This record gives sequence, C-alpha cells and structure tokens, in this order.
Amino acid sequence: MSKKIEQRNRPITVTIDNKKYQGLYGQTILEIARENDIYIPTMCYLTKVSPIASCRMCVVDVDGVDGHVLSCQEKAVDGAVITTNNDELFHQRQNIMKLYDVNHPLQCGVCDKSGECDLQNKNLEFKIQSQEFAAKDLNRKKKKWGILGYDPALCIMCEKCVHTCNEVIGSAALYIKPGGYKSTIDNKMSRCEQCGDCISVCPVGALVSNEFKYTANAWEADKIPASCAHCSSGCSQYYNVKHAGSNDPYGKIITRVTNDFEFSSLCGAGRFGFGFENKASGKDKKAFKNAIEAVKSSDSIRFNSYITNEEAKLLQTLKEKTGIKLVNEDAKNYQNFLNTYCEASGNSLYTGSNETIKTSDAIVMIGTRISRDNPGTKYAVNIATKKRRAQFVYMHPIDDIALQNKYTQFIKYEVGSEEGVIALLASYLIKEASAEYKDYFEDLDIGYLSGETSVGEEELELLEQRFVKAKNKTLIIGEDLYGHSQAENIAKLVGLIDKYTDFDVVLIPSQTNTLGVSLICTLGEDTGSKVVGYNEVGDFIISDNGTGDLQVPALNQQEGTFTSIDKRVLNTNVALNFDGYCLNDIVNEFLEYTEEYTVDYTSQLPINKGFKDIKFDDLKNGYDKYGNDLRGYYLTTSTSVSNKEVTLDEVEDINTYNGIVVYRCEPLHQFNKNTAKSLLLQTNNSLRGSAAFAMAAKIKDGDTVNIIYGSQSQTKKFKIDTSIRGTVAVYPTFDDGLMDNLISHGYRFKQVQIERQEA
Amino acid sequence: MSKVYFSSWQGELIDNRGVKADDWQEASAKLPVQYDKENSTKAFVGWDGFALFENDVDVVKLALNYARQYQEYSEACGRCTPGRWGGQILYDMLDKIARGEGAFDDLAHIKEISSTMTTTSKCEIGKTVPVPILGMIEHFEEQFITLIKTQTKSPWYDQDDEKYIANVTAPCSDMCPTHVDIPGYIEGVRDLNFEESLASTRGAMPLAHVCGRVCPHPCEDACRRKNLDEAVSIMELKRIGADYETDHGLEWFHPVKPKKPRNDGKKIALIGAGPAGLTAAYYLGLEGIACTIFEELPVLGGEVAVGVPEYRMPIDKYNKDIQLVEDLPTVEIIRNHRVDANRLKEIVEEFDATMLGFGARLSKAIRCANENTEMKGYWGAIEMLDKVNLWHKYQIGSPAMEDLKGKTVVCVGGGFTSMDVVRCSIREGAKRVVMLYRRDEKTIIRNTTLEEYTEAVEEGVEFIFHSAIQELIDEDGQLTSLIVNKYELVPDPGGGRAQLVKIEGADFEIECDFVIPAVSQACDLQILPKEWELTMTSWGTLQTNGKDYMTSKEGLFAAGDCEYGPMTIVNAVGQARRAASVMSRYIYDGKLDLTDAEIMEDHMNRLKVFNKNEKIKGWMPGLPREESEKVETEIRKNNNVEVNLGFTAQEAQDEAQRCMRCYYLSMVAV
Repeated sequence: MSKKIEQRNRPITVTIDNKKYQGLYGQTILEIARENDIYIPTMCYLTKVSPIASCRMCVVDVDGVDGHVLSCQEKAVDGAVITTNNDELFHQRQNIMKLYDVNHPLQCGVCDKSGECDLQNKNLEFKIQSQEFAAKDLNRKKKKWGILGYDPALCIMCEKCVHTCNEVIGSAALYIKPGGYKSTIDNKMSRCEQCGDCISVCPVGALVSNEFKYTANAWEADKIPASCAHCSSGCSQYYNVKHAGSNDPYGKIITRVTNDFEFSSLCGAGRFGFGFENKASGKDKKAFKNAIEAVKSSDSIRFNSYITNEEAKLLQTLKEKTGIKLVNEDAKNYQNFLNTYCEASGNSLYTGSNETIKTSDAIVMIGTRISRDNPGTKYAVNIATKKRRAQFVYMHPIDDIALQNKYTQFIKYEVGSEEGVIALLASYLIKEASAEYKDYFEDLDIGYLSGETSVGEEELELLEQRFVKAKNKTLIIGEDLYGHSQAENIAKLVGLIDKYTDFDVVLIPSQTNTLGVSLICTLGEDTGSKVVGYNEVGDFIISDNGTGDLQVPALNQQEGTFTSIDKRVLNTNVALNFDGYCLNDIVNEFLEYTEEYTVDYTSQLPINKGFKDIKFDDLKNGYDKYGNDLRGYYLTTSTSVSNKEVTLDEVEDINTYNGIVVYRCEPLHQFNKNTAKSLLLQTNNSLRGSAAFAMAAKIKDGDTVNIIYGSQSQTKKFKIDTSIRGTVAVYPTFDDGLMDNLISHGYRFKQVQIERQEA
Repeated sequence: MSKVYFSSWQGELIDNRGVKADDWQEASAKLPVQYDKENSTKAFVGWDGFALFENDVDVVKLALNYARQYQEYSEACGRCTPGRWGGQILYDMLDKIARGEGAFDDLAHIKEISSTMTTTSKCEIGKTVPVPILGMIEHFEEQFITLIKTQTKSPWYDQDDEKYIANVTAPCSDMCPTHVDIPGYIEGVRDLNFEESLASTRGAMPLAHVCGRVCPHPCEDACRRKNLDEAVSIMELKRIGADYETDHGLEWFHPVKPKKPRNDGKKIALIGAGPAGLTAAYYLGLEGIACTIFEELPVLGGEVAVGVPEYRMPIDKYNKDIQLVEDLPTVEIIRNHRVDANRLKEIVEEFDATMLGFGARLSKAIRCANENTEMKGYWGAIEMLDKVNLWHKYQIGSPAMEDLKGKTVVCVGGGFTSMDVVRCSIREGAKRVVMLYRRDEKTIIRNTTLEEYTEAVEEGVEFIFHSAIQELIDEDGQLTSLIVNKYELVPDPGGGRAQLVKIEGADFEIECDFVIPAVSQACDLQILPKEWELTMTSWGTLQTNGKDYMTSKEGLFAAGDCEYGPMTIVNAVGQARRAASVMSRYIYDGKLDLTDAEIMEDHMNRLKVFNKNEKIKGWMPGLPREESEKVETEIRKNNNVEVNLGFTAQEAQDEAQRCMRCYYLSMVAV
C-alpha cells in the first residue's frame, strides 16, 4: 500500500482566519473553508468537477509560504495557518476582475444572464465601476451549435463547460482552442449530445439556449423546485415559470428548466423537454361522471409508470375498495423481477444506486441501451470511468457508440440469450456459494452456453482478470431482462451474484416511477373485457395528454413524489396550474373517508415497503450549499433479511433470434408521450438501423416500411444510422400516443417482418 | 561565459554601457550569443532576465516583441485570467508606447498588471513573462520615457529587419532528452482529459507505455517541485494516457493528424526496430514520408523487447506502442532481415537517407583471471536476458528455468541490465542470487532507481558492495566458484574523490553455478563496411555532431546506442526524433538544417533551464509525492506479473495537481 492512501482521510486541523477547523487530509483549503461557511471568492470553481484553476480568484495566504496559494486545488496540510482575505488579496482579486472586464461587451440590458451573472456580481463585490483596461478588439464570431448558442466575446474562459462536458456528461465535445488572448471554446459537434449542461454551468451569458434567448429576464421567473419526470434518475430541477404575456394576463408559461448545476446535472430531455403540460382547462362535469361510470363498469385499469407514488397509491386504494384489477405491464415485469431477486439475494431491495455507481471501479452493465434508457445512470458510469478510471464492461447485442470512450470491454451477446449470459457471468463471478448452488454452477455446460450466447470464455476471463484490483463493483441490470421469457431464473441468478460476490446490484427502473408503482400496487397480469385506460389505451381513457375522455393534470401540473433509481422518494411540485379534475377526485367518489389533496397520500405510502410516514409538506427541496440533495427521503432497506435458498432452473434451450429483429428503444432525449410533446426536442421517429440491417431487410435509406408484428403493422420511415452496428434495428415508440403497439409489450427485441411500401 | 553588452540574467547584472567593446565584462551564463552558423544574436529575453549582445538594440521594441511572442507563440497560454488578459494588456500598452502614443500612466499600468500576473498566474510562463519586461523598463527607462515625452515612434517601429524567435520550455522538458511536453501531459491527467494527455506525450515520445514504465526519468532531477518538497512523479503519470487508450481500445491519439502519404518516391531506411528506429519511423510517418525498418529478429522492439523483463515492461503494452508506429500508412517493417555490411551498402544506395538504429548487444568482459566465454556457467547478460524474454514474451526457445532452477547465480554489474539479470534469476527459480558491485549502495541507487533496488532486495537478491571478481575457478570447464576481492573507500586527504582501495586479506570465495557479467555492452560494428572509414568515438560508437546525427558518411545517420553507447530508451528516442526531423528535410535539399525550434531547444539546453537554488513561491509545501501500489513480493517473485500496478485515478490526479506548470518563454532577436 502506498503511503498516500494511509495519509488520505486522516483528520487534520487548520487555522482559517484565526479560527481552528477540522478537516481530512485530501481536502482542499477551499473545501474546508466552504464546509465551515467561510467565503473565498471564485469564478471558475465548480464543485461537481475537478479543480479548474483558471480564474485565480481563490488565492489565499498561508503562513510561512511565499506568495499566494491557490485554495481550490491545494490540499490543506495539517497545522496550516490560512488567511482568506487581506488588502493585498483583495487588491489582486480586484485586478483579476478588471482583467475579466477587458472588452467585455456592455450588453447586460439584453443578456440572458443579467441578474444572475457571476461577472456582474463579482464586479459589484470588488467595487469596479468602469472598464479600466482595454485591448485591441477581436472580431469574434458567434456560433450556433444546435440548440446551444455561444458568444465568444462574452466568454470568460473559465472552462467550466469543458470540464462538465468531459467529466460529467462524458461526451467531451467542448474543448479549448488555445491561443492567448484569442483562445476560445469550440465544439466537436459529432460528439455533442445537446444536453445543455454547459449552458447551466456558464457563469456569464456566453452559452445560452437559442430557444430561451431573449424570452425572459432572470429575475422574472419563479423557480419551482421539482424532480424530473422523464426517467427513473429523477434529477433535481427547477421549472422557471413566468407570466404568459399580455395576450394571456392570468396565464403562466414555463420558460426553461434550470438545475443545481454546482452539484448535479440534467440531460437534454430534462432541460428542454418541459413543454408537456395538459393544456385542457376547466372541469368537464359530464366527462367526470362518465369516468365514474366507466370505473364502476370496468374490470381493470390499465396504466403506466409515468405517475407519482400518490397516483399509484390512489389506484391501489381504488383497487382495494372496488376490486378493480390494476394492470401495468411495465411495473409488473419489474415487480416480478425485483421480488425474485430479493428472495434470492436475501435483501429487501437492490443494493446499488447511481451514487454507488459513481464511486465504483468496476462495472458490468447488461440488458440496457443506457445512453437512451437512463442518462443519469450513464453520467454516473462516466464519472466512474473518469474519476475512478473504472473498468466498465458493457454487455449487449448492440454496440453503443455513445459508450465507446467509456467501456473498457464490450461483450456482444445474441438476442434472446440473456439467461445464458447471466448464468455464464454468475459462474465466473461467484467463487463461494452453498453446496447446492456450487453443484449447479459446476454442472453448467460452459462450452454450450458460450457457443449459444456468443460470449467467449476468454472474454469472461479478461473481465475477471481486469476486476482483480477493483474494490467497489456494481452490476447494472436493465429492462431487456425484465420482459425476458426466462426473467424469473435470470432474477434468481442476479440475486445470487449479489449474495455471493462483492458486487452491488442496480435494477434500473424502466420508467420514471416503475420502482414506486411496483412497491405500492398489487398488479394483475391481464386486462379483462372492459378497461379504463389511465394515460393508456382503454375503453374509457383518462389522460394527461390532451386526448382521451377525461383530462387530468400532467406531471408538471401535479405535486407528489417519485421513487427513483437511488431508492429515494423524491418530491415534485406544480409548475403550471391545472383547473380540471384529477385522479383523487375520482377515487374520492368511492371512499367514505376522502382526502382533499392527492399529496395527503404521501404519508400513507406502504411502510412495510420502505416508505416513511412523512407529510408532503415536510419534504425539503433542492440542494443545500454543501451539496446535499435535500429532496425527499431514502426508502428504508435492509440486506440479508432472509437466507432462503431458491431453486434455480436449468438453463436449457437458449432461443436466440434470427431473421429481422428490431429493438424497442427511443432516440436520444425521447422517452414517452411527454417528451414527444416538447417542441424543443428532436422527434425523429424513424426505424433506424445499419446498412447491414437494410441489406438483410431489403430496404433502403428513406424508404417507408411496414413493420409487421403479430396481428399489427406499423408504418415508419427507415433511416440508415451509421452509429448503429450489427443487424438489429432500433424501433422507437415514444410517439405512439394512445395506440396499443404490440412491440411495446414484453421483451424489447422482436422478430418482425418488414415490407417496403411502394411509392 | 558570454560576451554581453548588458545582462540581467539570473540576477547577475552586467552593464557594459559606455565601455569599449574590447573591455566588456562577460556574463557567467552560457547565453545564446551565436544563433547558428551564419547569424549572431542581437538580444536574448527569458524568464529570468534579458541580455543584449549589441549596443544598439531597441529595448522598447524588444519588450514589445517578447509580449507579442507570449500572445502568438505560446499557445499553451490563455488558460488563466491574469495570463490571458494580462498578457494582452502588456502587449497593447507596450505597442502604444512604441508607436509614440504612450502615457506615463501606461508604465504604471504595466507594473500593476505585472504584479497580478507574477503573483496569481496559473503557470510559470504567466508569472515570469513580466520579469524581463519590468527589467527593461527599470534598466532602460530612458528609452521608454523618451518615446512617451516626445510622442514619437520608436525608430525601429515600422522596420521589420529583425527576426524574433521564441521557444517555450520547462526545466523538466529541457532535461528530458527528447523534450517531452511534460507539463502538457500532466495537465491532461489533472483535467481528466487523458486523450489530450497522451497526444501531448506523443508530440515527442511515441513510446508512451514504455517510458511511462521503465524510463529512468532524468526529468525528475530537474523538477522545480524538488526545491519545494519532492519531485513530481513525472514518469508514472505518462502511462495514464497510454493505459486509457489501451484499456478503452480507442483509436490512436496522435499529436497532429498524420499527413497523407507523399508518394513522391523519396524513402528512408531505418536499421533496427528498437526505440530509435520506431521513433524515427513514427515522426517520418506522421509527415507522410515513406520509411522501411529492417529488423534482424522475428520480433519488434529491440532491446526493450528482448532485454527488459516482462514484470517491468509487459510486452502487450509495448506492442501497443509498436502498433501505433506500424499502423501509420507510410511505415513498413521487415522482420527477420539481418543487415550486414554488404546489405547496408545496397540499402544506402537504394534509399534517400539511412539511419542506423542498432543497439549495443555485446556483453563486455569482467576482466578477471581465468575469464573464458566458453566456460560452462559463464553467461553474458544480453544472451541470458534474450533467452528469458524470448521464452516468456514470445514462446521462442526454451525456459531459462531449466538452467537456473536451484542454482547459484552471481551477477557482476550495477546498472539496469544487471538488475534485470538478478531479478529474472529469482523468477527463474535460482536458489541464491548475488550481485557483486564495486561501489556502494548509494551509487547503485543513483545508477538505477530506488524502486528497482528496493524491489530486488525485497525479492531476495543479495547485494555485496565494494567487491570485484579476481578469478573464476572451474573444474574441467565448468564454473564452480569465484574469488572475490573486497575494497574500501579511502577518502583523499587532499579533498579529492575518494579512492577504492583493495583490502588485503579480505578476499573470499563464492561457490556458484553461473557468473553473469552485466558490466556494460558494446556495439557489434561488423555491419559497417570497412571501406567507408566511418569516424568513430573513442568508445566504439558512430561519431556525429550530436545535433543533426549524420555520421561522417553523407546521408548515413545514427541514433540511439550505436551513436551514444549503451544509454537510456529516452535518449534513443530523443536522438532519433531529431534525426528524423533532419532527414525529412535532407532528402529534399541535401542540407542538414535544424528548425528554429530545434536550435532554440539546443540553446536552452546549453543555458540550463533548471535552477536548483531558486526559491519557490505560491505553492504549499509538504504535499508528499504519490507512490503507486506494487504487487506484494511473495506474489510477484515467482512469476512475471507487472510489479507496478500504477496510480489509481485518485493518486494520479493528486500527483498531477502537484505539478507547478513551469513553462518558460524565451526569445532571441537575430
């Protein structure tokens, strides 16, 4: 062991401005100061990335050290005596601000950042009233990078955007073009994901959203704290809401989404996909009456997992009261998988989270196209590969170009062979197990499995070898496995990996609140003959989407909570008002003891599943200044609650898919009906595949094709996508609306027939 | 000593104003007085002062041009507020004064901005650029004041007869034989931008895996951080970028986009696929110039492949460095192709230039009684390491274990090769392994590295210092034992170097099965046609001028061990990189010109960039150097797993943050 590891995290004492403080070796001076509410000015420091050290504002004096020391990067040493401010330091910081002001355009009146601009703020702080220095002006051209706009004249070259793009997002699209005074930021557009996190970290108005530009002043917007509604990462965000303008004097609009960029990030869907509110207005009493009748006369309610915990609880309450069956295929598959996994692992819930992924040094991911399924998890993986240099093994039938600079090993397996893959993985990873399991793994026909799955033994040996040094390991499981015909046996094997190895396991909830729904609702398998659809197709449709028979509020018009991938209950608030009916109104019609508000159910979520008796209004929002996410609470979980042995099935016939195969997967920043509604997001709904796929399916780029599956045929445009390799095409469903598309059900890969439509 | 009109270099003030040229006092530093063969230098400006070599230099224009070079030449800059805007303000103000529009306030502003730059800039370049400018204002104030008072242009303002040549270096880069942009690749690690890190390394060093593992890192002796606490672990940070590229199976990160093949019929031959040949091929390949490497062995990599053991330099990693070169479209490598004198004559005829890059692979003798290379048990270090490595890395030959298991091995040496011999012997199962060394422990550490020595001791090598073999004892041609003399270090009463003196009666005998001389190596010169009568050094290597690396035969170049004698990998890389650059022009114009960058590189090297007496400002002392984790002795000593596990991500970043980015800007006016 190296001596530094022994040093790291040893308690130290430092004196800052004549007071003693405790810290840990490895912490920087600035970190210790901030922990203790001591202010040191910075322009380029961004907590979520490594110290940038470009602004030089954070210099401090240390007794016995000649010259000023950079507090953001220098680690505090035990006994250091630090002065954070004096006349000389103030003077130098003032000069730095004067330099930042050199030729900075005086266009604050029309600058988006005005009012929340670090340059404005620090000029005030350092009492600078005029531009003291000027340099020969350069003709710096404005740039447009998709939705991003960059004005190099406003850019102060703090490099926050470049670090974020590389260290957190992982695209490394933004880079520095050096050249002294001429230096500027540029964008390798082929890498850019259009997530917009660079906009949020920009301390000045250099990076803006072209759509937001000139639409609102910073001080006009109310910032409504919320949790992102689009995937199970549930990122913290703020809907910026302002008056709709003189044409609609009482109306409000969302102008943009911001976030606690100092500590967290958003993907493009979270940042730009906010325009999904239900625009219907007023209480349609007739429709409401029809809805009550429909519930009474139907045998089941079909719904999805893009709902709050409270809505799930309302549905469960309705079920308990009326006996109506709850049908949610997504949550049902997940629930079955989770329960089986829990039984096999002995844990009450899975053990990992996005947080544990970030600190992993070895990651195996299987059964998900993560860059599309859950950007928050992709960021966590990226952080691990950058900051921990994690070994990351990505296993999937389709390679993902967005992960290529992240994974250290890509293992391709055959479509349909997931059970065999997990069995192989388990047999390599599990070294110690009870006798029965040991026999099971010894009896596995590795050669057969390897042959059928296409996962080479040497690939697994390499994986094993590369993981030898690892201390924090995570196995990430995705949606492909929940809908698999052998999901139950797969879940058992995953549970055993958790039980018998030092891997933590994350079961990515496939939709925003799949975990919450699966914990709260008792779900049935199939719908009956008469169905109420709640945001889904049915004989009577209750919808937050502007279509259907009764209108209810969308997720940005409701307060409530989601249960995230981090096993955390996260609260969200009303950004825009909705003055119609909601699910609570319907359920109340069936109850003796009614609740006035939907969020009255927040404290009634099932405690035996880990929820807590905490009122909605007692939940906090956003982050504190130390970087703690204050939202909601963590579910109560426990490990090793039981030691029951499960019976594993033999891995017998592995049915791999041949012929024309499509994979249900949404394009970047699209998830569902909500994101499909957003005008700011790309809505490419083509079937996309490689040239090899086109050849096999006998179609060409630009063809309109019929995709035939079971009794259904869907029409889509076909696009050749050079970023997709192999012979499986990617089939999006986000724009299906309220159509019941058979491809949306079950296992994500489908064997289909494709016919070219004649022009 | 340098003849100067005026110099403030490194605090030594020489002022010959008003003194007759013949009586000029000289400066003690080796300043670049003569730029190249044709041109003398008018002035030199650098991070620690400036010097004028003629009495009519326009100092205002000199200051202005130094500020301009900071903007235009030093592209590393623009990464911090004081450096980016401060540098531009300095330039604009000086320009204002020089064109006759200056005010006294401008001088005050220059001083003000300079104070912020010198105290808060990110790199030394930003901190030191104002130093000579302030010096010029201090010592030649009248030139500035006259222009301001008279509001006239500096007489030379519009004249463009002077050439200003700038150079950016750093103490570590200067000390590195191939001048790797060390602060650049460390910054890449610091910023978690491993792609940029590796591209920076490869600007001067294609063998990033190799020199991130087995370089003796002379750079670390010139690390300014030593003046504060301990040198930065420069060498190990180099492998971070290379490991990243390899781990992720990414496409090659080149320092520049390789140029298209020139296909103009010009071609260069390189003899030997060791570090020198590979390096030359890489830089020629980046230029799109066709080159062919002729390698005698079936395997590539030269002595680093067949000499350096697997546990120090895993071959799969070295093969990545080799693949990088081989993947360039204009590089051709021919294996199993022994070049003898006749073949060399043919090659030189056929190619537009030829570079010899063969190594020193003849083990030198111990020089003791009864020494006989035919004796059983007498085994040259090179032959022994060849056998070990060919077997472990390529499964060629047979295991050395068959010879060494259970045996006693004595190695005579003290350098890297001898360390490889003893540590390999341990791994091949020898019962007892002894290293005999004439000098002491301190010297062996200095000649190798502390890590190497410590690891050898941990693995069970017995070191016997102050000892030398007197005689080999054999029975019927089979070595049985050695007679060893003991020495002691006797201080010279006159204050000179201590002398090794034999201790009478302290001789002892070691019973052994093998004696492996690893004293030094020589080149096999049979390849050189006698009739060429090439000029050789006194130690039997090819003579060049150490700048353009051409031998006494027109069009025949030499780099690496065949030029220098047995030396480091990085030395071979540095020489070959320079030779490739010279050859890339030579094949077109037959001249041996160096680029301005190369001339300046050599000037800075002569001047010496690292100043061990400098006091460091603006950095917190007491942050210990990171040590990477090593595989435990018991686990490693019986096999060839890589001993050094390398830095963890956290250690690498912590260590990178210790780098003080000591870039320096220098400029000459010619």
